[in-house]
Amino acid sequence: MRSITGTRRLLKWVGNALLVMMLVWTLVPFYWMVVTSLKKDKEIYGFEATLVPRQPTLANYTRLFATTPFVKYVRNSTIIALGTTVFSLVFGCLGAYALARLRFPGRGLIARGLVVTYLVPPSLLFIPLFAVMSTLALIDTHQGLILAYLSFSVPFATWLLMGYFRSVPVELEEAALVDGCTRFGSLVRVILPMSLPALAVVAFFAFTQSWNEFLYANVFVNSVEVRTITTGLTLFVVEDVFFWGPMMGASFLSTLPPLILYLIFQRWVVKGLTLGGVKG
Amino acid sequence: MRAARMTRRQILKSAGVATVAVSAPWWHVGKSQAQRAKKIVFWHVPNFTPLADELQKQQVYEFAKQAGLKESDVEYATVANEQFDAKLAAALEAGNPPDVTRLYESNVQFYAAGGHLLDVNDLVEKMRREPKGIFESAMTSVVFKGRAMGVPLAVNPWPVHARMDLLEQARVEYPKTWDEFVETSKKIQSPPRLFAFGMCLGLVADTTDNVMNLLWCYGGKMVEADNKTVVMNSAENVAGVKMIEAMFKTHKIIPPGAISWDNSGNNKAYQSKQAAFVMNPSSIYAYLDGNDKDLQKVTGLYPVPAGPKGTVNQIDTWAYGAFKKNPYPELAKGLLEYLMHPANYDKIIQSTGGRWVPVYKRLFDSPFWKEKPAFAHFIRMAETGVPVSYGGSPTPAAGEVLNTNVIPKMIQRVLVDNWDAGKALDECHKKIVEIYTRYAKG
Repeated sequence: MRSITGTRRLLKWVGNALLVMMLVWTLVPFYWMVVTSLKKDKEIYGFEATLVPRQPTLANYTRLFATTPFVKYVRNSTIIALGTTVFSLVFGCLGAYALARLRFPGRGLIARGLVVTYLVPPSLLFIPLFAVMSTLALIDTHQGLILAYLSFSVPFATWLLMGYFRSVPVELEEAALVDGCTRFGSLVRVILPMSLPALAVVAFFAFTQSWNEFLYANVFVNSVEVRTITTGLTLFVVEDVFFWGPMMGASFLSTLPPLILYLIFQRWVVKGLTLGGVKG
Repeated sequence: MRAARMTRRQILKSAGVATVAVSAPWWHVGKSQAQRAKKIVFWHVPNFTPLADELQKQQVYEFAKQAGLKESDVEYATVANEQFDAKLAAALEAGNPPDVTRLYESNVQFYAAGGHLLDVNDLVEKMRREPKGIFESAMTSVVFKGRAMGVPLAVNPWPVHARMDLLEQARVEYPKTWDEFVETSKKIQSPPRLFAFGMCLGLVADTTDNVMNLLWCYGGKMVEADNKTVVMNSAENVAGVKMIEAMFKTHKIIPPGAISWDNSGNNKAYQSKQAAFVMNPSSIYAYLDGNDKDLQKVTGLYPVPAGPKGTVNQIDTWAYGAFKKNPYPELAKGLLEYLMHPANYDKIIQSTGGRWVPVYKRLFDSPFWKEKPAFAHFIRMAETGVPVSYGGSPTPAAGEVLNTNVIPKMIQRVLVDNWDAGKALDECHKKIVEIYTRYAKG
């Protein structure tokens, strides 16, 4: 009995030590970003790396807001990320429901195709997509970028929701249909309320992926009016000089929205990733 | 359920539909580009100072107004350096490149070879006829098959940024030769806080620039002027590489960390006062102008020290390129003429705080260049400077050598893997021959 308790205690300690290491691994870059944004250039470039700013300053943030279109970048990223999230949820739900519940030829092929589509790297797609966007006059527009992001967020959303919807018992839906519900009504009134954790996961992933995306935003956007944070950050590198202070300030601020979102929906996200509709 | 079999005709039909579906976007883009309304699409790569950015934008809009265009007829996009290549590649592939943009050195040759650039020979000839003319050293990078395919925009020397205060403290002059440079370095450095020579030695483009600049002073070069005969394994190059090896391993005047620097490593070393000498374009000097005036005051800009074969200084040339796809080529050329008009151009040049050196010789007569002692050597450097591809031109092959870090890998063989200089240069020579042969075959 004693030896079992000792082993458990040891395992607990090892587990905790690993968690602490992972925590440090995750938090150190974040901490470095914050403290660098509070340093003056001389300290940033100094011989000794300081863990705490010697003379903390908000000058980098002032510069960020006063002399760069950072607010516009945030606005654009928000519009595009929210747009992508909403459309991913709508198309993902409809697609996933069709694949999970309806019987039609090629259903299996489409379901497998979703995974394949999701796996095609954007670096292969950006030139053909650019041609399509040019044809549709969607270059340098919010709509164009949202449409481009749906190319990776909808397959993921559909694939994830499809698995979740399958875990909801068909009998519940059949009962709703017997009671006079339409297909769409049963989706909205029965399936979706039971799938909230999965919807939270989809929303979180669609938002984060489009918030962080760089390649399409780089290629499909030209003007400040549509430019997102990720591509805006690169303008803090001019030739071979890095303006670390404002860049770190902008990076820190840009991590906040996904972070806040995650903290709010954390419980659902974890549940959505691990459980089915009627478990737990 | 039985799977339906497709007939040969059905397969052909499907293939036809798929071909049309896949090629339609490109056909449409080409068509829409040819039929587009009269406008100017200008891709702006950020300059060193926001003031220069603003002036350039103003001038583009001023020209558009004079050409009878509305503000909304100007598409003025700012594209960061890092994003430029991928963005231009996609735009060219889709047949939708900008009308005018700034191109770096071998890019003019690269895009001219691909048939993308508009011939601007008449405009460049006009610039050459200005009083005192332009620095002919700039022509190397813009002339393709005897015609100017880009408009030289700036000639940028790579001076040695030197800490004059440290030289004064040690009561020594700026060294005239590389041997003197080593001796001076030993006197002024105090490692590990301050190393004398912030030579870039990482796997990046600046290493090619720094290494080749020293090799030229020893009589070495990468390729002969015929742009065919690679001479990387010459005895002169071996001597130059051995000098770098001695500076790094024996004299220890280069920081050990320099082998992992990126392109900004030497900038950071100088800006943080951890290096007394660095070879770099004057972006460092321009940075200090806005961020550390004290350090700027004690910074001198000098030609590189001489080797056994004298002093050779590097320049890089930036140019404006106008793309052929534009259905209004005269508008693009008109814009270039307006931007390069000496009066307009001089405003932008001066606003860069010395980062850009004018291509028009007579602009050096202005007080801006004469009053600052730091710029005293610039005119000679601009006059006699050579591109990184010297003894050849900045051809696409030279561009690949630069972009694939063949020369940085060579120097790391010597400094990191402890290879003999001759062996490392032999390996490097073979790689460069392979690149040049491939381009020669087309």
